[in-house]
Amino acid sequence: MTNSNYLNISDILVSNEKIPCKILQDLPKMGFLDPSATEDDLKVGSNVEIPLWLGETLYSRRPPLVSVDLPKIYKDAYREILNADACTIDLHKFAQYFYELGCYIAKYDIKGEVATTLVNTFKQRFRMLLAASVSNDSIGTMQPLSVSERERAAAAAATEHALSAWLQRGDSPLTTACMVANHRKRKRAEMEML
Amino acid sequence: MDPYEIEFIGENRIISIIPNFSYDKIYLICGEFGPFRAGLPLNVPLWLAIMLKQKQKCRIVPPDWMEMDNLENLKEEEKRSRFFTKMPNAHYMVEAKLILGAAGDDIPNSAEIKTIIKDIWDIRMSKLRTSMDALMKSGGSYGRLDHLTMMEINSVKPLLPAAMDDLLRIQMMAKKPAPASLNNSTFSQSGNSQNV
Repeated sequence: MTNSNYLNISDILVSNEKIPCKILQDLPKMGFLDPSATEDDLKVGSNVEIPLWLGETLYSRRPPLVSVDLPKIYKDAYREILNADACTIDLHKFAQYFYELGCYIAKYDIKGEVATTLVNTFKQRFRMLLAASVSNDSIGTMQPLSVSERERAAAAAATEHALSAWLQRGDSPLTTACMVANHRKRKRAEMEML
Repeated sequence: MDPYEIEFIGENRIISIIPNFSYDKIYLICGEFGPFRAGLPLNVPLWLAIMLKQKQKCRIVPPDWMEMDNLENLKEEEKRSRFFTKMPNAHYMVEAKLILGAAGDDIPNSAEIKTIIKDIWDIRMSKLRTSMDALMKSGGSYGRLDHLTMMEINSVKPLLPAAMDDLLRIQMMAKKPAPASLNNSTFSQSGNSQNV
């Protein structure tokens, strides 16, 4: 999660994510917002996908011009998957800015379940960050991470790399004998992780 | 922080050497050391000891804690305990690496000692990882870092503090009933404890 500052690039990118909205008033000359519209005017009841910044502004008008709907990743079906096992979902594919967008979106969820899901998802997926930071297969483990998760994992991997470089350096570095490394008790870290 | 920086900090620890030359007192920024008398042990900073050893000017006296029985006990205790045990030395890994690297011949059983220290390090690192995961799962907002050495704490940076920041921000957002508008950020602290 990046600090949301006015000129924060990733925050700007988040506010550019498309969210589904329902139009509550006739909007003249706004038909271009809906690619499937045939007329110049945007009619009441049509559903459009507009950027978050536009959606928020139109929603905050009194009376609101649109009602904001949840993007599908935050809807019941996906929330159930996320609550069951968040690690199975490829966030990079479904919602690159899952947490950041979620923070903005959560207030449109009357039941407040999106917020709980976000926290749960983050807690569960922390394990993936840990795994990605020590893994040799960096492409495979980094792939399903969202943008902010990737940043975290990359920074953690850099620390890990520096530490192992330090441990290896010198003509007689402290290394594990391969006999010891192959011994079962060495697998403790992995076993406890799973 | 880079591990080399921590190594640099650790190099200021005092250890005992037996020089094979005689020399007057030397005056260093960190204090004065000497006079050096051939055959008589004296205390010097670790970096100086390593340098003299590399020039074949001294023997390094193994530190008290670098001894097989001692380390065996430590390892057993570390394995048994759910928490981190106190290490004999705040920079044990740095000291072990430098001394065993440069002066393996001065330490009895240096190969075994090397292995056992590495074992202890591995046990502690894996404990650190699992407790980090447990800390995040339980949603605690702070972790106790008792008895962790600088090198070990450094190995969880920046991941753990950053992740806790993120979690806090999401939680703050979750608690907030009033709509948060764009370009707002909040900070606060709360929660229960968890041993890391």
